[in-house]
Amino acid sequence: MATPPTDSRPSTSGSPSSPYSPTASFYDMSDDEEGEYSTIRAAKSEKGVKLLYTKSKTYIHPSASAKDNVPGYIALIQQKPGNGPNVSSPPSSPVASSSTRRTAETANILLAWVPESSMGDARDIYNKVEQAGSSSPPKQSQLVPPPPVTTSHNAGLGTYPFAVPVSDIFSILVRPPSAGWWFGSIVINTRGGDSFPALFFHDSECQSTIDQRKKLQRENFSISTEGGGMFWGGDEIMRWLKRYTVVERSSQEPSIYLIDPNEVDKLGFGTGGKPSSDKVRNVLEGKHKDEPAQSQWQNVEDPVVKVLKQARWSFLEKMSQVTTFTRRTAQAVAENKNLPPQVRRLMQDPQVQTVSEEFDSARLYLARWAMGIAEQSEKERSQRVWSAKEALEMEDSEVGQFEILDVDAQGLSLADKRKPVTLKEWNGFFNSRTGSLEKTPDEVKERIFHGGLDEEDGVRKEAWLFLLGVYEWNSTKEERHAKMNSLRDEYIRLKGAWWERMVDEQGTLEEREWWKEQKMRIEKDVHRTDRHIPIFAGEDIPHPDLDSPFAESGTNVHLEQMKDMLLTYNEYNRDLGYVQGMSDLLAPIYAVEQDDAVAFWGFVGFMERMERNFLRDQSGMRLQLLTLDHLVQLLDPKLYAHLAKLDSTNFFFFFRMLLVWFKREFEFSAILRLWEGLWTDSLSSNFHLFIAVAILEKHRNVIIEHLHGFDEVLKYVNELSGTIDLPSTIVRAESLFRRFQRTVESIDRKSNFPAAPLPRQRLPQPPPVTRPGSNGRPRQPSSSDANGSGSTSARERTTVGDHVAAGIGAGKEETRVISSELRALLSREIPKLDKTEVREHGGGVGS
Amino acid sequence: MASRKKILLKVIILGDSGVGKTSLMNQYVNKKFSASYKATIGADFLTKEVLVDDRLVTMQLWDTAGQERFQSLGVAFYRGADCCVLVYDVNNSKSFDTLDSWRDEFLIQASPMDPESFPFVVLGNKVDMGEDKRVISSKRASAFCQAKGGIPYFETSAKEAVNVDQAFEVIARNALAQEESNDFNADYPEVIAINMGENDKGCAC
Ligand SMILES: Nc1nc2c(ncn2[C@@H]2O[C@H](COP(=O)(O)OP(=O)(O)OP(=O)(O)O)[C@@H](O)[C@H]2O)c(=O)[nH]1
Ligand SMILES: [Mg+2]
Repeated sequence: MATPPTDSRPSTSGSPSSPYSPTASFYDMSDDEEGEYSTIRAAKSEKGVKLLYTKSKTYIHPSASAKDNVPGYIALIQQKPGNGPNVSSPPSSPVASSSTRRTAETANILLAWVPESSMGDARDIYNKVEQAGSSSPPKQSQLVPPPPVTTSHNAGLGTYPFAVPVSDIFSILVRPPSAGWWFGSIVINTRGGDSFPALFFHDSECQSTIDQRKKLQRENFSISTEGGGMFWGGDEIMRWLKRYTVVERSSQEPSIYLIDPNEVDKLGFGTGGKPSSDKVRNVLEGKHKDEPAQSQWQNVEDPVVKVLKQARWSFLEKMSQVTTFTRRTAQAVAENKNLPPQVRRLMQDPQVQTVSEEFDSARLYLARWAMGIAEQSEKERSQRVWSAKEALEMEDSEVGQFEILDVDAQGLSLADKRKPVTLKEWNGFFNSRTGSLEKTPDEVKERIFHGGLDEEDGVRKEAWLFLLGVYEWNSTKEERHAKMNSLRDEYIRLKGAWWERMVDEQGTLEEREWWKEQKMRIEKDVHRTDRHIPIFAGEDIPHPDLDSPFAESGTNVHLEQMKDMLLTYNEYNRDLGYVQGMSDLLAPIYAVEQDDAVAFWGFVGFMERMERNFLRDQSGMRLQLLTLDHLVQLLDPKLYAHLAKLDSTNFFFFFRMLLVWFKREFEFSAILRLWEGLWTDSLSSNFHLFIAVAILEKHRNVIIEHLHGFDEVLKYVNELSGTIDLPSTIVRAESLFRRFQRTVESIDRKSNFPAAPLPRQRLPQPPPVTRPGSNGRPRQPSSSDANGSGSTSARERTTVGDHVAAGIGAGKEETRVISSELRALLSREIPKLDKTEVREHGGGVGS
Repeated sequence: MASRKKILLKVIILGDSGVGKTSLMNQYVNKKFSASYKATIGADFLTKEVLVDDRLVTMQLWDTAGQERFQSLGVAFYRGADCCVLVYDVNNSKSFDTLDSWRDEFLIQASPMDPESFPFVVLGNKVDMGEDKRVISSKRASAFCQAKGGIPYFETSAKEAVNVDQAFEVIARNALAQEESNDFNADYPEVIAINMGENDKGCAC
């Protein structure tokens, strides 16, 4: 069963982008072929087509979810006319005079789109041509592999490149960025009546568009085009086309640009009585009687517009039962200085406001949208350099400015500190002969906390075992070797134990029932965990158990390994057993370690600190939510007051984030970085709560201004998933921690309650907001109050929040009390439960 | 009651982990099934606008995690529900056996004004898996629903979109009826004061 993983298995610890992109398709070339394209070739090469112009960050949006967006390059390319020799000749005069000649020429000019994932090395050439710009015809011949030429669009939306001869393009539907949806797009309609998927221009990500805007601004003190709108990617595409063919804007359908139209086309679109898409349809219909007009026209509507219409707006409309979107709200959005200027300008436009008023919870949509844009620009910034100054600029919450983080004692600059630890650096920490650590564990942890571990060189495999407590920091190479050997044996033994139990049907009836149920649960969850990660994707082996609900669909070897590890854990920790969410915690460890026994013990180490999240009475989760409650009261009373008004101070909307440490919020590769930082306990063993507050703070203005109900907050926070930028979140969390630390210190200095450590005390009473129906209550994990707890009685504790909140607002510092929950945040000791606690509250078969 | 008033119907979907709650909801709202929905953690909801007898209503469908221990925190959502959907897997007898306790727990936590008449709907899901896998017969499930005061019962497949729309139509209708009876009661504020007071903070932690 425990087939040792082979080296051929795909690595998921690799680069962040590779696991997700579809494998390169036809651009996958053998090495020698690739060599030919990686350099600029002489024009006479028989291979390849000439890349005239191109623009990156042109996306296909195959579904409503931004996660599915496929980035690519739009390009204008020229192919050889038959076997003709004139590839290298630069385009002649912009527009030829005779239509026939034009057709001949434009048949060799293709408008193409190529997904990034299938470009291979040709991407360098694309980038070069993009940089060269389009203000003049290309001077040098740059050859790239030819995308498949097609005149009709078929299945496989967004996965495959395509190239349409310009002579086959009937019209282009051009939609500049507007209030309805942020990205401008174009849709190619062919003479055959087909429509290609909309190509969206993510202008804020596209360096060439940004540069062009800057240029326009320099030249005209404006970033608008002649038409009045802001310059965007689509403008440039039209500019390219105009160099080679006639482009006429339809006066009837202003968003339609006809390509080299004949008289009939012009009639249909240009002059004449009533406008409308009927006319468009008629023209199309007249031309191709064999195709039902309606479906043709519907094709033009891209999925995003559809989704916006069907889901977004109506959903939004429903979301806000409480208030309506008013002019005042629009004004608030317009004046909110957190929003980028473009959005504010848009909101000031009365047109937009009218539109918005029709959808009374457009405010939520707008809020999210604006936040998304802010996030995007933040990402762009972080892709460049991380400096404390930028972190500072980024902070716009009312909570205050972020301090510049101290340069640490080792004199590392901030930029150095945030560089990932490579395998080489890691190995340098250890004595090369004995393999024992030559730095203090704290130094190493601090380094990992700030920099993370290199995602490609495999350092994680080793370092994680230290972070997860499988290896002692002060061990020698030999000791580790011995330890691993005995752990491997132990894993096999544990696994054998449940295997036997299963085969022999041992145990009481109750035990057997529990076992069966757990097995089912694990199997179902494993099949629902991280299936988009290559190692967990797909089913390529038959299911070993014909009675399993997955017998028909099959399984794969890694899913089976996951199942075995979780069943083994279920056996290993019978007091708790397997609980939903654990599969989410195991998957990254297994993906990194790529070895079931090693991953199992890493998981066991992780679970020691995570056990409290899974107790039957949920006391560990309640405690953390309560701590979060106190933390927000202390750090952001205004936000807290707002949440209180919305009945949201149970902080339930953070449940998912805390239970599985943000696993569902960040993409897989980011989780690896986040977790290794959290495992260091570098500042606090509860640093994840500061991550939570950092996420909350980022959205606090939106929440305060726009969200008016518990359900809205929950939905908003749930939908942050996949949008949060990790590096800046970590920086903010650290800053929040330091502010918290200082606040506690200053309160202690002034307070009547000095921070004299008191003997550990249990909470005699549940927290303030317990419902009668809830059966659990928070218990202090055994070491959480290592730094001593406040001397508050249960009574005082119930009002601590009010004290804190009132204290900050009114300057009555003497009334401020730091709860024991808060004080525990200063501890770096991992809050582990002791065995008896797990036995009492675990809810497993052992309890 | 102004006829222009927008109606929001709150529906809670309960049942053991893995019976297909999330899949059913997505089939109904988004018309699609994916084998790779993740296990639900915490709670989430989807909304859908529907026409019930000429009235435009919005259904807010709440989905929570199925493992019991996660319910203790999720109960905050039960309040104000207009209908509760109980889901089991026809191929899994345990998930059928627990229906009763799901129902009881819901009634305790949501404490609707008139528990006897509160609308439930039972869905037996995954009927696509074939008769040989099936362990709970239609007859047995119907008998259970009869015994509980005539709960409407549907056999569904989220995977193959069997009976999903039909079931949710009944859910919407019954929820609307419940909502309207609540509105009626709301004209007499003293009737609903029972359950407030001690926890107007409205929080389960
Ligand atoms: N064959 C079949 N499988 C289904 C059907 N509905 C759901 N499933 C599968 O059953 C498993 C669980 O489905 P979910 O919808 O995630 O179940 P859930 O009730 O939301 O589970 P929790 O979130 O854990 O409470 C998944 O593997 C689904 O693909 C169905 O109608 N037919
Ligand atoms: Mg679910």
